[in-house]
Amino acid sequence: MSRNKAVFRRGPLAPVGQVTLAAASGEGENAAMENIVVHMQGITKIFNGIRANDRVDFYLQAGSIHGLLGENGAGKTTLMNVLYGLYQQEEGTVSIRGTEEKISSPIKAISLGIGMVHQHFMLARPLSVVENVMLGRKSRRGILLDTKETAAELSALSDKYKMNIDPYAKIWQLSVGEQQRVEILTAIYQGAEILILDEPTAVLTPQEAEVLFGMLREMKQDGKSIILITHKLEEIISIVDEVTILRDGRLIGSQAVGPEMTKEELTRMMVGRDVLFDFPGPQQEAGEVKVRADMLCAVNDKGLPALTDLSFTIRENEILGLAGVDGNGQRELCEVMTGLRPLCGGRYEIGGEDLTNQTPAVYIRKGIAHIPEDRHTTGLALGWSLKKNLVLKNFKKPPFSKHGLLNRKALDEYWEKARSEYQIKAGSGDDQARALSGGNQQKVILARELDQKPTVVIANQPTRGLDIGASEYVRGRLLEARNQGAAVLLVSADLEEIRQLSDRIAVLYDGRLMGILPRGADPHEIGMLMMGKEKEELPNEAE
Amino acid sequence: MKPNKLKEGLRQVLTAALTIVIALAIGAILVQISGNDPLEAYQALFQGAFGSKQRISEVFVKMIPLTIMALGTSIAFRAQLWNIGGDGQFIMGAIAGIIPGLYFNLPSILLFPVSILFAMAGGALWSGLAAWLKVRFNANEVITTLMLNYIATFFLAFLVYGPMIDPLGGDFPQTPNIAEGYRLFLFSDKLRIHAGLFVGIAVVAVMLFFWRTSLGFQIGLVGQGKKVATYSGVSVKKTILITMLLSGALTGLAGWNEVYGVQYRLLEGVASGYGNIAVVIALLGSLNPVGIVISAFFFSALLVGGATMQRMTDVPYAIVDIVQGLVIVFIIARTAFHWGGLKRILKRRGQNA
Repeated sequence: MSRNKAVFRRGPLAPVGQVTLAAASGEGENAAMENIVVHMQGITKIFNGIRANDRVDFYLQAGSIHGLLGENGAGKTTLMNVLYGLYQQEEGTVSIRGTEEKISSPIKAISLGIGMVHQHFMLARPLSVVENVMLGRKSRRGILLDTKETAAELSALSDKYKMNIDPYAKIWQLSVGEQQRVEILTAIYQGAEILILDEPTAVLTPQEAEVLFGMLREMKQDGKSIILITHKLEEIISIVDEVTILRDGRLIGSQAVGPEMTKEELTRMMVGRDVLFDFPGPQQEAGEVKVRADMLCAVNDKGLPALTDLSFTIRENEILGLAGVDGNGQRELCEVMTGLRPLCGGRYEIGGEDLTNQTPAVYIRKGIAHIPEDRHTTGLALGWSLKKNLVLKNFKKPPFSKHGLLNRKALDEYWEKARSEYQIKAGSGDDQARALSGGNQQKVILARELDQKPTVVIANQPTRGLDIGASEYVRGRLLEARNQGAAVLLVSADLEEIRQLSDRIAVLYDGRLMGILPRGADPHEIGMLMMGKEKEELPNEAE
Repeated sequence: MKPNKLKEGLRQVLTAALTIVIALAIGAILVQISGNDPLEAYQALFQGAFGSKQRISEVFVKMIPLTIMALGTSIAFRAQLWNIGGDGQFIMGAIAGIIPGLYFNLPSILLFPVSILFAMAGGALWSGLAAWLKVRFNANEVITTLMLNYIATFFLAFLVYGPMIDPLGGDFPQTPNIAEGYRLFLFSDKLRIHAGLFVGIAVVAVMLFFWRTSLGFQIGLVGQGKKVATYSGVSVKKTILITMLLSGALTGLAGWNEVYGVQYRLLEGVASGYGNIAVVIALLGSLNPVGIVISAFFFSALLVGGATMQRMTDVPYAIVDIVQGLVIVFIIARTAFHWGGLKRILKRRGQNA
């Protein structure tokens, strides 16, 4: 902590950046102030008695990209929602271009030239791009729609920033990356000079993220000011000019990002302690074969082949990592292995017992834990209390149920136990699951799935959308499950995660297994397999 | 933990009360426009519901079937199954329930359990049909339950005009009365309130209990989403069937109550649109047994008092229908209420305190 103070100076009147700038230009504070387009001072926002923002200061310089860094629940999005007029602060002031403003609604924010792209897109899926842009805008042609003009202007804007968006494409036809570009395009079209992006890369592949960053740099050249909410350190280091770090709703500090800044340093300030980037290898040798998949075949929701002749084994005390670009059959495989999707061919054994095409209840009884990809619709009953969510799979069993009647006391006790053991941060066990942050939601799922001493764990993207602290925790729990004898299938789009945790690495491409590599395999080699190149085709240097 | 639940309960009561107040206020404006004094009208309405022993008794006579039906409806609604076929299930329950009473010649001690079973089976058959169509063909239950209402209504008409018509009643479309020994006893020979009240109380007690059972948990889980329910090892199809059967069985029981406690025979309009009101009651009561009892009481008073109001003033009964309709509109808009205005008001109050 003392180190942080040495690096950062805080105080409502003198943000570090401002001082640096003033010192550098030598023109005094007034000149510096002119360059500040957004200045938030002493912002406090309270939800249900919890201070989501506690006297936070924030500033944004014209023509710069400013990173807003912090763990989930640190108050980044809250602060930006205040700026965008979605929330009203309890204390503090917001100045835009030197004038104090009361931003009472997003409409006001937009009129001040502030645009925001949320993590979850706010687009009407059946409508086209241009129709979405025109929603909520007055037509320039009176009662007739000005579709053509708007579309032409959008095309021009899209070309300018190389967004490659067809104004007449329907939203549902667009990829996630394209939808995000539509959101950005809409904001700019509405005249945004100050653009807030909430975790824009959370839904993008690394390639798409690069494209996005290219666009952001271009916008910066045009004099637009951008706020990037993120918890990814690489992004801060690669694209951001200045960074503001929040922790637990408080400002840790703001400063310019230079080449000397390291990932470790940022992490320490963000989390407040050192974080493990390396995990220990296996404690014991892998045991007996626990899971045997033989020539598995399955189709996706559209009836097209999703898995083709997939064969692999997972042993006790082993983590099999499944690498691959999203959408190559990972979800279908996890569903097939937990009874959520039928197999149309092949044989699936657990512990030597044929369990091909059973109902989900059978797999649950056999001790297969499943951490699903989609926490919100599959892993949790969002409208239900945390207590109930903990027993979704065993509410019929004692002690939670006796003679068909739920035992409230057992539920209470189980919640208390899970809360302390899995460090779930929540007001009470009666809170709705939707009230929790992503990391804490995932902990509830982990508590439910891992507490019953599973023999097999199927973890699909277990750390997606989680911050560093929570990810580290989830990974630790998976390793613990393995060390206790479980056979673990770890599906992840994060190659680093796969390489850190897996004892063996399988690569999936287009529903086929491209190969299984040993622990610590070369990322380049994995990458080639992920792109569908057969092992034999690999160039020699890679081996 | 406790204050949280209390706050939640208080919030629900407040929203429900606010819904009713706004509906009545708009009703008052309409009364004013129609050239009458709203105060006088509502006074007549209140007098009509609570002005005498008879009237209070009538409120409870209406309240019994409405409460049972709304509770039945709430079971399906908690599983996000929009069973709006209350009328059809009520009619089928009434038809099936009267058969032992008219044709079996059982000793009365046997008749009650047998006829109750028949009635519940009749209601369950009708809702079960919709459930089967949903599970087998993915047919939307809103459409099927609604359409089955018409089939039941016309089937009842066919019976009371044809095979079941009272041979001594001339051409009047109704069945013969059930024997006096078979009727639910009355608390007083001047009032219509009958022993069905105990059935109603028993059903409320069971339902208070029901949501704490593992079956209740399972039904609620399906209501939280098919994906999460399947993931948790629950068979969604089986749960849909069970839920709809239970829902229809309770509604059928309400039909039995109407036959053995009030009408003593079948006639064409036996359901008198209870199904729709039961849906409103279930929603206004937030699908919660206690809330349902309270809103059933309110609506029964409104129905009984409305009839008197029409007689004593120039205000038409249609005002009652309008209030009922407004409540539906507000309930639909309530999601917005919850998360928007009211929440903010409550929050502000919480902070000041």
